[in-house]
Amino acid sequence: MTLAPQTAAAPDPAATAAPPHPRADARDASSATRPPLWLEVLASLAALAASIPLVYLVVRGGESGFDRIVETLTRGRVLEYAANSLGLAAATTATALVLGTAVAFTLSRLRVPFPRLWLLASALPLAVPSFLAGYGWLVLAPSMQGFVPSWLLLSAVTMPYVTLPVAAALRGASGDLEGVARTLGRGPLSAFFVATWPQVRPAAIAGGLLVALYALSDFGLVAMMRFPTLTWGINAAYSASFDRAQAAILALLLVVLALLVVLGERTARGRVPRAAARAVAPRTIGRGMLLSLLPVVAAAPVVGVAIPLLGLATRLVQAETLRELDVPRLLAAVGSTVGVALAAAALAVVLALPIAALAARFRGRLVSAIESVGYLGHALPGIVVGLSLVFFSLAVLPALYQSVAVLVFAYAVLFMPKAIGTMRSGLADVPVALVSVARTLGDSPLRAWWRVTVPLALPSVGIGALLVAIATMKELPATLLLRPTGIQTLATELWNRTVVFEFGAAAPYAAVLVLIAAVPAMVLSGIRSTAKEEL
Amino acid sequence: MSDLVVSGASVTHGSTLAVDDVSMTIRSGELVAVLGPSGCGKTSLLLAIAGLLPLRDGSIAIGSRELSRPGRTVPPEKRGIGWVPQEASLFPHLTVGENIGFAVPGGRGGAGARGRARAERIAELASLVGLGALTNRAPNQLSGGQAQRVALARALAPRPDVLLLDEPFAALDTQLRTVLRREVAELLRAQGTTSILVTHDQEEALTLADRVAVLRDGHLEQFGTPEEIYQQPASDWVARFVGDVVELDGAWRGGRVTCALGNVEAAAVGFTPADGDTVRLMLRPEWIVPRPDLLAHAAAGADARVASISYAGHDAMLSCDLTAGLTVRMRMAAVDLPQVGEDLRLAVQRPGLAFPVPA
Repeated sequence: MTLAPQTAAAPDPAATAAPPHPRADARDASSATRPPLWLEVLASLAALAASIPLVYLVVRGGESGFDRIVETLTRGRVLEYAANSLGLAAATTATALVLGTAVAFTLSRLRVPFPRLWLLASALPLAVPSFLAGYGWLVLAPSMQGFVPSWLLLSAVTMPYVTLPVAAALRGASGDLEGVARTLGRGPLSAFFVATWPQVRPAAIAGGLLVALYALSDFGLVAMMRFPTLTWGINAAYSASFDRAQAAILALLLVVLALLVVLGERTARGRVPRAAARAVAPRTIGRGMLLSLLPVVAAAPVVGVAIPLLGLATRLVQAETLRELDVPRLLAAVGSTVGVALAAAALAVVLALPIAALAARFRGRLVSAIESVGYLGHALPGIVVGLSLVFFSLAVLPALYQSVAVLVFAYAVLFMPKAIGTMRSGLADVPVALVSVARTLGDSPLRAWWRVTVPLALPSVGIGALLVAIATMKELPATLLLRPTGIQTLATELWNRTVVFEFGAAAPYAAVLVLIAAVPAMVLSGIRSTAKEEL
Repeated sequence: MSDLVVSGASVTHGSTLAVDDVSMTIRSGELVAVLGPSGCGKTSLLLAIAGLLPLRDGSIAIGSRELSRPGRTVPPEKRGIGWVPQEASLFPHLTVGENIGFAVPGGRGGAGARGRARAERIAELASLVGLGALTNRAPNQLSGGQAQRVALARALAPRPDVLLLDEPFAALDTQLRTVLRREVAELLRAQGTTSILVTHDQEEALTLADRVAVLRDGHLEQFGTPEEIYQQPASDWVARFVGDVVELDGAWRGGRVTCALGNVEAAAVGFTPADGDTVRLMLRPEWIVPRPDLLAHAAAGADARVASISYAGHDAMLSCDLTAGLTVRMRMAAVDLPQVGEDLRLAVQRPGLAFPVPA
């Protein structure tokens, strides 16, 4: 159950042509050896920590007893929540898959003006948290609510999860095969489906998984649109504090749905041996065709980024907003947001490092089990992690209840997969032979690690930390449940004002959130505009 | 300086035995090629000598200093053995000079006497491999040949007792490979460095090495000079692996084989045939020569007709149909080549090799 999204787009090393033997020798030489015990122990401890929220939720939910669980799950409201969650996830995933694949094909196989600019624009919605997009739209159309706006906004915000990896896969896919199919008598569309689609399918399905998980676990947007899904129900049950058992049971239900989605993706993705890739020249199309494709390509950036920012801007520049601005409070929110984000990034990197180091160099059952647990945060909705850690801290560590430590830990569990993914590939990209060369040149293992592995892998550690920090600043539901009294982040301030329709008072927080979280995310995705990492 | 002694060495690779009971002594200053097909275990043997793989059996020592035995491997950094991997494997975050100076003490700063000595050593090595002007370049600005030179200079920098080269020329194009391998061999001999070169290229092994170790499925098939390996192969497999062979079955009688090429003198390899036994005669294509002067002699040689000619510039490979209904290939210098269809009288100009006929 490895949820690493990048594995979908990366060529399968086992399936490519056999490498020249001696190099295979040198690589196998290290993977054949067992990992050092201390590394196994450290990685196991990190995985154990990452599993706390899920394990404790199961424990807590199980305490309710079977009858209670059945009784809760068969209530009308609960069935409605579950149906809404599933419906929203299905509609959003289908939309993102179809439109995202179309956009990716347009940008990588057709000759369009400014293709890189468009690709960058397609990545931008990733930087905007769903509740911020919801806020921007509500400013312009305060009466929006229900399924349709939730579906459209979520689709726009999550489409890059499909567009980016599919575009990358299309660039890597051999166009020669399509040409061969044409010479064997297939039409253009048939040739695409027979030759190119199989090479792109794993990337598209892996992207679809991320979209589905995002839609299932989204809280901020559906709550703003007052569309009652499971996350909404969990929050409601928890807020009515006499019924925490019901919150736990709903959270369990949500986790089961998320895990089912993950398992479904695993079976549907499949693996395709990749043909040797050669760049394909984009096809030229007519101006009319180009114009008719424009709305498709522009849809996500316009709906997910441009209009929300426009709504934010119109409210920001109003005199009333500026007059009411509470600068000390805003600065306090900035300080605590950045503070917890940096702490979460540090903790996530520390927890992820042993797991990434283990997974980068070694194989085996224990290794893949540890790695899967490390990726658990991908499948766990923020509200579930928040709720479970509330229960956990109350029952096990009451001194830490509502402390910054638990909040930072929740972030670290949720966003550790980002750090594991980037650090693992960064460490794996350091050729084993280089370390061996350093050894034959007189370096001890530790010195070789310090002089070769560290400098080569450092950028990936930095990017991993940055990804965690950015994601933390945008996090809402776990923050709402776990933040210590008196501490507000930009996201919670924005949220608290939006739900009571104080759009003007919310505007400065939204603007600063865009500046310190969304803009770095955009820059980062610009730097790695071909990358398929989620931001 | 002392010899490198590998005795009874076995190396496991995963669950398979990659190197099985290999013994060889490499004399100080010698250049030895380890030759074998892909997967024969030659790289595993090299990694074991470098201390990057443990031994399952046997030992590796330089003189009286034991480097490896089961359960005890002197770590790579303490063995004094240099390694040039297949692809240059230059440290991408360091310049050419810093790569060369990786194992030279003195720090990066270059201040003080140690720093100066280090800079001098780097410059000396860079000019030794002909790259004196490139020390400030980044590795990705080098061509494949230049990168291999840097890797060589880097490995020579700490003055290793033994230098290991793992197919160092495999990634280069043919012309560059020929030039560079001659240069490298000359340089290693001039430095007096004991070197082991792993290769799957017969020509490379035969032209460069003082002695060649032929490895097959982890076993050492033969260890000898290039002439011995080529002209007196220890087995039919070695004969086929290190060069082209012509194979003919015939009857053995007192050190001669009667076959389609007439009555050919031969030496039996690895067995003692009885008179009248059928044996397999193996010849190198260039051992077969046209002998117009023998045209009248019925006893020596055989009549043949040229069926096709594969022309390679400096020489040519001729396929000739024997009147006995067999085809043999012969190599001759590409001067005054016969025409296709021309009749020739063929003879064998040196004793052939007789092996048992495979069951």
